[in-house]
Amino acid sequence: MGRFVVRRLLASIPVLFLVSLITFGLLWLVPGDPASVFLDASASAADLDRVRHELGLDRPFLLRMGEWYLRLFQGDLGTSLLLDRSVTSAILERLPVTLSLTALAFLFSVAIGVAAGTLAAVRHGTAADQGLMAMALLGLSIPEFWLGLVLIWLVAVLLPIFPVGDYVPFAKSPLQWARHIALPTFTLACVQMGFIARMTRSSMLEVLSQDFVRTARAKGLPEPYIVIRHGLVNAMVPIVTVMGIMVGALLGGAVVTEQVFSIPGMGRLVIGAVLARDFPVIQGGLLFLALIYLTVNFVVDLLYAVIDPRVRLG
Amino acid sequence: MSAASAMADGKSTQDPSRASVFARRLFANRSFAIGAALVGMVVVLALLAPAIAPYDPLKGNFRARMEAPGLAHWMGTDHFGRDILSRVLYGARVSLQIGFLVTLITAATGVCIGAMAGYFRRLDGPIMRLMDAFMAFPSIILAIAISSVLGASVVNVIIALSIASTPHTARVVRASVLVVREMEYVEAARALGAGHARILVRHVLANSMAPLVVRMTYVFAVAILNEAVLSFIGVGPPPPTPTFGAIIANGRDFIVAAPWITIAPGLAILVSVLGLNLLGDGLRDLLDPRMKVATR
Amino acid sequence: MKLKLLALALAAALALAGVGPAMAQKKGGDVVIGMTQAPPSLDPHVTSAQAARNVNLHVFETLYARDENARPVPDLAEGVTISPDGLTYVFTLRRGVKFHNGKEMGTADVVASLERYRKVGASASLIGAIDTIAATGPNQVTIKLKSVQSTFLGNLSSPRAPIAIMPAEEAAKESGKAASIGTGPFKFVEYKPDSHVKLARFDDYKPNPAYKDRDGFAGAKIVYIDTLTFRFMPEAGARDAALQTGQIHLNETSDGPTAKRLKGNPNFQVIPLLPFALQVLKFNHAQAPGSDVNFRRAVAQAIDSEEILAVAHSDIYKIDPSWVYGGSAYHTVRKVPKPDLAAAKATLAKSGYKGEKLVFIVDNNRPNIDTATVFQQQVGQIGVNLEIKVADWPTTSKIGLGSDQGWNFWTHGFGIEPFEGPASVMSPWVNGQSQRKDDPVVDALFEKFNAEMNLENQKKIFNDFENQMTDQAIAINLGDYGLFQVASSKLKNFKPYRIPRMWGVWME
Repeated sequence: MGRFVVRRLLASIPVLFLVSLITFGLLWLVPGDPASVFLDASASAADLDRVRHELGLDRPFLLRMGEWYLRLFQGDLGTSLLLDRSVTSAILERLPVTLSLTALAFLFSVAIGVAAGTLAAVRHGTAADQGLMAMALLGLSIPEFWLGLVLIWLVAVLLPIFPVGDYVPFAKSPLQWARHIALPTFTLACVQMGFIARMTRSSMLEVLSQDFVRTARAKGLPEPYIVIRHGLVNAMVPIVTVMGIMVGALLGGAVVTEQVFSIPGMGRLVIGAVLARDFPVIQGGLLFLALIYLTVNFVVDLLYAVIDPRVRLG
Repeated sequence: MSAASAMADGKSTQDPSRASVFARRLFANRSFAIGAALVGMVVVLALLAPAIAPYDPLKGNFRARMEAPGLAHWMGTDHFGRDILSRVLYGARVSLQIGFLVTLITAATGVCIGAMAGYFRRLDGPIMRLMDAFMAFPSIILAIAISSVLGASVVNVIIALSIASTPHTARVVRASVLVVREMEYVEAARALGAGHARILVRHVLANSMAPLVVRMTYVFAVAILNEAVLSFIGVGPPPPTPTFGAIIANGRDFIVAAPWITIAPGLAILVSVLGLNLLGDGLRDLLDPRMKVATR
Repeated sequence: MKLKLLALALAAALALAGVGPAMAQKKGGDVVIGMTQAPPSLDPHVTSAQAARNVNLHVFETLYARDENARPVPDLAEGVTISPDGLTYVFTLRRGVKFHNGKEMGTADVVASLERYRKVGASASLIGAIDTIAATGPNQVTIKLKSVQSTFLGNLSSPRAPIAIMPAEEAAKESGKAASIGTGPFKFVEYKPDSHVKLARFDDYKPNPAYKDRDGFAGAKIVYIDTLTFRFMPEAGARDAALQTGQIHLNETSDGPTAKRLKGNPNFQVIPLLPFALQVLKFNHAQAPGSDVNFRRAVAQAIDSEEILAVAHSDIYKIDPSWVYGGSAYHTVRKVPKPDLAAAKATLAKSGYKGEKLVFIVDNNRPNIDTATVFQQQVGQIGVNLEIKVADWPTTSKIGLGSDQGWNFWTHGFGIEPFEGPASVMSPWVNGQSQRKDDPVVDALFEKFNAEMNLENQKKIFNDFENQMTDQAIAINLGDYGLFQVASSKLKNFKPYRIPRMWGVWME
């Protein structure tokens, strides 16, 4: 176990290094630089050059790249060109927003998805099963950002109870936090809910048709007990394995959802940085997202080993 | 429906008996049948767009701007006075084209990379580390970044989305190649002195097609969704090209005042993606009953 | 306490008399403004972006500032004495003006701020005519110019990238690092990128005694509200919804259809702000066919600016070919050209254009994209074939501002220049900066204008400039456009201006 942890951690280093190389490759190729973000359209070439110089953008790319790696080894991700703070603090500021959004969407989609999937499996072949699965498929096929726009429209016109375009930290007011994050969470959870419901149903069906379940039924154990004790526990294994993929999908979805609802999270940070060419933030932001993704996958692998003893690590 | 069965019929010219049996099994699968019907409907409407679209999708009518859905314009008009229905029909052409080409390119690159990684042990490590790196941040961010590097155009959107969806596909191919590689018939071929290329193509790849085909339906669906996201962020195909995403992006400012501009193309995406997902489910049931996980 | 009682009694008396209540200013309250963009920096010197201006001009002030009609008037300065040769400006500073850090503004701060602007200012060329800046008395700063510049006070008071006065120790900091410490009626509280900037009333602020009322960027800036938050919400629908749920009190940028929907709703006030900018269409003269005057003229004859503006800025535009706004002394009444496709085709035939595919670059701001889209349709009718390249602002402006290649057309708003006045309108076309090839007539007119102190002569020069722009079709001014601002009806006494000023307003 210990050796596995060390090996996985070591293996993530080259991946992170490659992530930073890919990012540098993109930054090197991308046209435009942040100097013009400071200026309007009748700026002169001299104005542009001056701002570029002040931002240090007139120095060779490779030199800036070398400096970035040097600083990275000292644990410093550099300073944002536009946000008036270090990249690290810009990221740490946003992280709680994105993490609470994805975590909540995750919990929400797992809770509803597992419940719906189980119900569908238990009522296999009935109208309830078909209805639930149709809904799951529908959820799976909805474009997130479009759903967000439609929800905004509904909020503005029909039920102005959910605030739009703001974020209140949980620590400040749990109730306000919940009100503010409800719509984005729903938007984000929709796709994953469908995904989980379908997965749960199929693995549940498989488990329920197995011998030990039949034995349990023959023993006259109550059906709810069988479903939960034997069915659900065993059906969770494949669900745990896809959690890593899910978190990846949720982070991607959060990028767009934050944009639609004007929430200051990681996604908006990175997209804003890409569109404004805030190089240090792009670099640091992508590295951080990669770190989150790798960590989650690592945890998933550990969990998998805990849940399913057949899996040997190493 | 008719279009989809026509497609299947076209296939059957080579080997009538086996192909028609397979087609019959396919359409006996309800997911596949409904999915094929939906996708077929979208494809047919897209192909017939020039014939059935009531208006020119690019030409605005100055006097009919922002009209709500009605008799003259079934889905209303946008702020240029362009007919939304016509734009959605033409938009389907471009969006489907993007989806289709992304699927083809991804299949090609995914198979090449995945097969090399899976078959040649020495290449496996470096290739998969690189794929891991590409998969370590959300693919949509990768697509947005590539699209801003290349500049917004239909071709560049196709390239960006193909690059973004390749790593996952390569991983799927690699996984099945790893399994097939150890099969007895591959051993046999090797013993008979077949070359790497021949073994890879004739034996390994031919037998790892099933998961790939299923995955491709999802790649298609995701490409349609992601084209819309790119347009929404502002790095999609430039005007006046109508795509599902471009129409939504164009109407987003007026979502509250004129929601119809945004809602119609969104529903079109929904129907297309739903159809493709169902198609994928059906194919998966038939081709690869063991594969339960629908990766998206 | 006694005073307060007296005030109360007075207010009551006024109320009874029936004069006061309509304008009963109320102290307190928090106002939230929904903005489309975030400022690239809160250091006022280093950016000329609109979003930064909106925030920074609540916090910072300048020696001179523009009044309601865009004329330069004293703000932090009491006044100025200009030497007869027009080269020496002696500014007397207002006394007792405090920075938000509690220190009193002095000559050292003014000198340091101006010197800093000359080095790092985003529009440093505004005060490029300055030779020396020196404190010449306890309350006096003297600026010597290299050569006469008729627009010097105008430039000094420009809100573009404001030549803000900051404490000397902040002015010593490098570009982008100066803290938000100014003399303005609001002080900085916090900045959360992609979320908001929060300001609070600066209680030690002494409104300029020379004025009674709000007047442009100058005047008496009296603040009633407690805090002011600028919330960054790029999604138009989100701003709209947030206004309706009461999350924001002012939607700084809204559009025609939304305004139409909310008009008549007693909870909201719809405030048109027209003119806000000109929609300008640029040609690249460094490349064929933009280098060919017949080509440019043909395009100018073919386009229907009414149609373009109606789509891009529905319900809030005015066809006005003058390059300054209606209220300006320099405004000219010019003939509105009618689209004439036959004439355009004939003119195009005289040019060297053979139907090659041309590139129209545009940033991803909807009205600009819409302009390009309608333009493409219109010039397509005379056989001009073009593709639209949409990109983010850094990409588009990098090509358009700095490159002779990769573009033939570009469109964007021209907002602050016409507000600043003729020199600012002319300057982007001097030395071929915007059109990529110099026009000797424009260059000469600009030089003449700068040296001309007489208003009537200045008007004539500017008129000549406008004629030259039209005659040579150097660029096309499609007309004025504006924007709708929508406010909660609780926000009182709001008057739209170049920035959403939050002094003089109160919450009910």
